[in-house]
Amino acid sequence: MSRHATTDPLPAIAELAGVSKFYGPVMALNDVTLRLQPGITGLVGPNGAGKSTLIRLLTGQLRPGLGRVRVCGRDAWRATAKAHIGYCADADAFYEEMSGRQFVRLMARFHGLFGAAARQRCEAVLEEVGMADRADRPLAGYSKGMRQRIKLAQALLHDPDLLVLDEPLNGVDPLGRIDLLKQLTQIANRGKAVLVSSHILDEMDRLAQRVLFLCRGRLIASGTLAQVRDMLDDHPLKVCVACNSARALAARLALHDTVHGIQMQGSDRLILQVRPPKEFFPMFAELACQEAFEIQRLEILDASTEAVFDYLMQASQPGAESRRVSAAGSVVDRQGTPAP
Amino acid sequence: MTTAFAVIQMMLTAVRRMIWSRQTMVSLLLLTLVSLGCIAWSLRGERDPADFLRQILLPMYVAFLLPMSCLGFATVGIAGDREEGTLVYLLSTPLPRPLIYTAKFAAALLLALAWSLGGLWVLGAAAGPAGREAVAIAWPAALLATLAYVGLFQWFGALFRRATIMALAYALFLEVFLGNMPGIIKRVAITFYTQCILFEAAAPLGVSPSGPHSETIFQPISGSTAQMILILLSAGFFVLGAAVFSRREYP
Repeated sequence: MSRHATTDPLPAIAELAGVSKFYGPVMALNDVTLRLQPGITGLVGPNGAGKSTLIRLLTGQLRPGLGRVRVCGRDAWRATAKAHIGYCADADAFYEEMSGRQFVRLMARFHGLFGAAARQRCEAVLEEVGMADRADRPLAGYSKGMRQRIKLAQALLHDPDLLVLDEPLNGVDPLGRIDLLKQLTQIANRGKAVLVSSHILDEMDRLAQRVLFLCRGRLIASGTLAQVRDMLDDHPLKVCVACNSARALAARLALHDTVHGIQMQGSDRLILQVRPPKEFFPMFAELACQEAFEIQRLEILDASTEAVFDYLMQASQPGAESRRVSAAGSVVDRQGTPAP
Repeated sequence: MTTAFAVIQMMLTAVRRMIWSRQTMVSLLLLTLVSLGCIAWSLRGERDPADFLRQILLPMYVAFLLPMSCLGFATVGIAGDREEGTLVYLLSTPLPRPLIYTAKFAAALLLALAWSLGGLWVLGAAAGPAGREAVAIAWPAALLATLAYVGLFQWFGALFRRATIMALAYALFLEVFLGNMPGIIKRVAITFYTQCILFEAAAPLGVSPSGPHSETIFQPISGSTAQMILILLSAGFFVLGAAVFSRREYP
């Protein structure tokens, strides 16, 4: 996993090095090493995978049993690191008797802002999350989406370098989601690292530049979706090809080893199962040029977060050969040694 | 400067939230009941300060009302935030944990002192001249006991998720049970030291250990030693609580 650091030019805002976390005899996280850089990183995994534990370690709510967690070069557990972390917890808890504005202003004071500075910052973040005109209502009467926005507002108050959001899209309506995703993208564009944990995998496709896949406390894959998908050589890639002479193209493709399955859809569309993709695409390009096939559309069907997630989950089932895949192109086994 | 400001804000917020809490309502109810008892007591013939100390302050205020009001405010500080899920906001601020603990402690102490000393004054006023005279003797013991109880119960708050239940079990069982045991085992109870201070201060009025508090069974220590022990206990509980809170994870 150390090849992340040498191959990625972006500086790390947060870093976990060999982190394990135990709850009594239960190992919630097992030897996790990762770096968070500016941009949006998605955190994906089934229930009990260790997502919340990882988030709480990153935000200094928990201490690692083994390894170290650093944010902007500081131990995440220490108060000095908290000035660089904005945390939007999954728990739906507030000082219910307050209004949204009172709550955010109070949090500003807890962060050491006072007087006009606190008021200005409070108004700025309320504006940013689209709550400025609705923030005087009591928190107890807010919808789930509004409460998520207030949580985001308090996390942004001190302009943190690392923003951690645990299931921020829970309970938010579709329009609200689009708004929220837009805001997160804007924050990431300001050079901040944003870590988003979500079980809504569709959103991850649009939102996250990089994805961390966790399963049973292990980081089983990390990198951009395309990178991770490329590493999954065991699973044929599903490719949709639209072409005028689909039958002729199918006949030609059937002769190649990299094409493992061909399915006709209508008269002009093929669904191919290819493996390995790296060899298929150059071959396909050459074939299309040489034989002058008119390709109208070429689309990868299963490179979504959900599809990659499903493949990774299958691969990490007990009995299956368990492997971790890193964005840098290495596949490592359980002991961390390169697999053949 | 900004750190001090943030700590003061945290303390003021805790005070505001505690004032309007269920605990305040319960403490108010208990104080009202005991005050009514005091009024009824004062109406029954001639009363002197020694009677008030023996019949009202020792059994009702020192053994029950004082620990209960301290318990209400001290446990709700941290344990309340834990139960409501709002502790995460405090722990996400760039304030060192011992300072967060101090802010909560200061808030609980402020209210508990106001409640215990104010409650003592109310009881004295309700009991008439005899009560007022007794209050003038009893307040230093109440002040030191409040310090010790707040330190202890706030430590419980840092230690246990259900701190109020643990503190109630301690106050109703250990303080009462161990506090009335013969021999030196009662010295684990804060009530014992409060009583020692009271007995010494009220000695000129002729108040001394009697009945279950007889000299031989009660084995009192001097008032000044009891004062010193309560001060040390308060400081010890505070340091212990701050240390626990600083190291403990609150998932």
